[in-house]
Amino acid sequence: MNQAEAPVHDSADSRIDAAVEERVPAVSRRMLLRRAGVGVGSTAAAFWGGWGGVRGARATPPDVSADVDPGSLLSKLVRRITMGTSPAEMALANQFGYSGYLEYHLNYTAIDDSALQARLAPLTTLTMPYPQLILLPNGQVISELIEAVILRAVYSSRQLFERMVEFWTDHFNIDINKEADNYLKTIDDRDVIRQFALGTFPQLLDASAHSPAMLYYLDNTTSVAGNPNENYARELMELHTLGVDGGYTQTDVQEVARCFTGWTWFGRNGQPNAGTFRYNSSVHDNGQKIVLGHVIAAGGGMQDALTVLNILTNHPSCAAFIAKKLCRHLLADNVTQSVIDSVAAAYTQSGGDIKTMIRAALAPNVLHDAAPKYKRPFHHFMSAMRGLPTSIANTSGIRSLLLATGHMPFYWGSPDGYPDALDYWFGLILPRWNFGASLMNGTTGSISGVTVDSTAFFSGLTTADQMIDKINQSMFAGELTATERSRLRQYLLVNVASTTRRRETIGLAIGAPTFQWH
Amino acid sequence: MSDHESIECLGCTEYRELSRRNFMAVTGGVTMAALSAPSWLPRVAVAKDHRGTQRDVMVAIYLRGASDGLTLCVPWGENAYYTNRPTLNIPRPDSADPNRATDLDGFFGLPPAMSPLLPAYQAGKLLIVHACGSTDTSRSHFDAQRLMEVGVAGVTYTSGWLGRHLYSVAPMDPNAILRAVGISTGLQRSLQGGPSTLPIPDLDNFGLSGSSTTNAERRGALNDMYAVVPDPVHAAAENTLATIDLLNTINFAGYVPAGSAAYPAGGFGLALKSTAALIKAQVGVEAVAIDVSGWDTHINQGPISGGMATLMSTLAAGVGAFYTDMTTGTAPTFVLVAMSEFGRRLAENGSLGTDHGHGNALFVMGNCIAGGQVMRQWPGLSPGQLYQGRDLQVTIDYRDILAEIIQQRLGNTNLDYVFPGYTPTDRAAVAC
Repeated sequence: MNQAEAPVHDSADSRIDAAVEERVPAVSRRMLLRRAGVGVGSTAAAFWGGWGGVRGARATPPDVSADVDPGSLLSKLVRRITMGTSPAEMALANQFGYSGYLEYHLNYTAIDDSALQARLAPLTTLTMPYPQLILLPNGQVISELIEAVILRAVYSSRQLFERMVEFWTDHFNIDINKEADNYLKTIDDRDVIRQFALGTFPQLLDASAHSPAMLYYLDNTTSVAGNPNENYARELMELHTLGVDGGYTQTDVQEVARCFTGWTWFGRNGQPNAGTFRYNSSVHDNGQKIVLGHVIAAGGGMQDALTVLNILTNHPSCAAFIAKKLCRHLLADNVTQSVIDSVAAAYTQSGGDIKTMIRAALAPNVLHDAAPKYKRPFHHFMSAMRGLPTSIANTSGIRSLLLATGHMPFYWGSPDGYPDALDYWFGLILPRWNFGASLMNGTTGSISGVTVDSTAFFSGLTTADQMIDKINQSMFAGELTATERSRLRQYLLVNVASTTRRRETIGLAIGAPTFQWH
Repeated sequence: MSDHESIECLGCTEYRELSRRNFMAVTGGVTMAALSAPSWLPRVAVAKDHRGTQRDVMVAIYLRGASDGLTLCVPWGENAYYTNRPTLNIPRPDSADPNRATDLDGFFGLPPAMSPLLPAYQAGKLLIVHACGSTDTSRSHFDAQRLMEVGVAGVTYTSGWLGRHLYSVAPMDPNAILRAVGISTGLQRSLQGGPSTLPIPDLDNFGLSGSSTTNAERRGALNDMYAVVPDPVHAAAENTLATIDLLNTINFAGYVPAGSAAYPAGGFGLALKSTAALIKAQVGVEAVAIDVSGWDTHINQGPISGGMATLMSTLAAGVGAFYTDMTTGTAPTFVLVAMSEFGRRLAENGSLGTDHGHGNALFVMGNCIAGGQVMRQWPGLSPGQLYQGRDLQVTIDYRDILAEIIQQRLGNTNLDYVFPGYTPTDRAAVAC
């Protein structure tokens, strides 16, 4: 969709937008980062129940009405559904308004992404069928897939889609370093995650359950009648659908494992269908099973596991579990039960339609109340490159820095996926500072394959104030705090005419506290 | 025991502030100490001798994925072990098989891959506690790990047992900048809530990138920007800036282990080797958490020559080297524990692997540990003796062992703070 075809505000949308603007100011990063009254002693307050800093900021919002611009909720939406704000993205949001902008991104197939496609064209493994993939070195297949994730995050116009791909990649985590998954993850990414990231949850789950990458990763490929392997069956309920407290028992795990016996793949031995799903009826347990109280009659064959998937996606725990995780991804580490309930209701009413859930989670009043969310390292890196005129020739340097943060795509070993909460990520802050320092080091930066054109960025600007304003608008959507602004300006003023000094100032901005949140 | 031990940690903040000033003062002037010290030692050789306080440094190793305790320490005296593990067993010590277990006490034995631990065991410094673990019933890795690392049943707590220990005991060294480290990119749950605690994946690579000319200036800017934000990010930034200087005083790359200890190649060996260097540098670090992943052996477990054997070899070689390194010469005293969220099913599955079980074996090593024994209240492996008819029972709660260590070796009497609501049973795991 080009901008001329942008959705027009209907009257309902306008009312929502207008109503939002009348409310008290959104919880902003600026408020979060204002440390008034939150001393070092807050460690003690934070100790027993979550982190006091964030909650404290919410519980007693200071009076900041004077310095919250009316567009702050819109920029918050931009930050939540993208890998980082940029001038172009803010222009789109301003043009479409809150609901129009969200719908624009939900209707992602209509967004022209040909520039990205051109960048991805050299990565030939992305579209290759398995028999061709398997002829290539595993390292090439893995690095092309990771390179694609980075290029899409930085350059794709379909930013919400990429954010949801990120979400489902964690939800249906597969460790790419587990032998056959060196190759199979490329297919899972293409045919499962990206195929249904904005489809319905039952579609997505069904595709994942048939995915050789997943069946191999969770050992179902060796699960046979009489002595089934419980690994996939357990994680299917615990991590993919119901949640650990979702109401299943160890007996259910064993029964589901029986239902999935024979779900495997055609291996790499040269068959024409190598790399595809295989139901091997000869090792399937054809006895009766009872799953979560449902009797699955004997002799069901492959239908047994399809029945299980149906039971799971229609279970109330599934709606609640997916809703909670989605809220955590799009909104905040902690959201109220009523918000989770509303998103779960959207799941139930829509048959697990992912777009419907996103609309519920990102309702203006809901987003308004969401606390700031700490960027994970990947998000932090990508947001820096998105806010600046960045050219990526190759991603080798970015990948090695991602590895040092512990957040390389597809590298999380256990099936729960990368953590999505502050308490895991807050401690290791140095690689974030170093990403900024390296990206903007000297006149060309010192990350292999990446350059930022700071001359273009500051083109026509002469004073420190102008340059800090530019950083604030392009990278922070105007949310740079007074302290940050003052300190960055002070740093720049030492030699405002120096290119390296200007670049280092941007590097420090990437390391600034506000830039760690979105 | 430290005379700080009964003080509530209301003064932790003051300690941190004090430590910063002292550190800056020290780095400003003292280089003399470096002249007579080994080259890898820090130039700030002013820290208190740990032994003066009789407090061990805790090294907490977590075997993620539920390690198979029935392989780590083999109950070869049980016939049921062999009948349930027809292909995945370790042969009896009296077998002619070259891959047989090494007998420990006439009932248990170590598999070949774990033999690097024999010297510590035979010296009475390695204790194995069997049928041990968390009594929580979860067979979920993630739930069980969280509960075990938190150390409190239910969902009320988010902090970890080691973090609460650090929080409720005065620093071993009042000048400490860094009291605990997780060798990880994300802080382990066990250390959450600990003051002056950071995740650092590589102790030898912790500095600010960019131009050296502007390094100090940029650090100043970062310091000022983070000075006014709330915790925990504020504390992380402050600790990070101070720790950069601290770690740069230690030459990890040049560290020579004592007793010709040979750490295995790879991340785990490097983590333990760096940990030894950090402890010997005596900069006030009291706890280090290290993870070893890969124990979720649902298929092709390979206890003799496969995947689990490789994992065990690395684990045992690393811990064995650490033992040699730390007990040769005059290193500070330590206690090392290795635990996992639960054990694995007694019966092997059809994939030459084992599914999720319950009871496990806990490994404890240290200068004052009642080692040289496999401590147990052995429940047996017959059908009627198994947990839920399938798994090894837990007859000794892992917190019994940790509580004793915390009280007697880590100088903390605030046990109700570390393990609230839990009354540990004395197991005599500590020897002195």
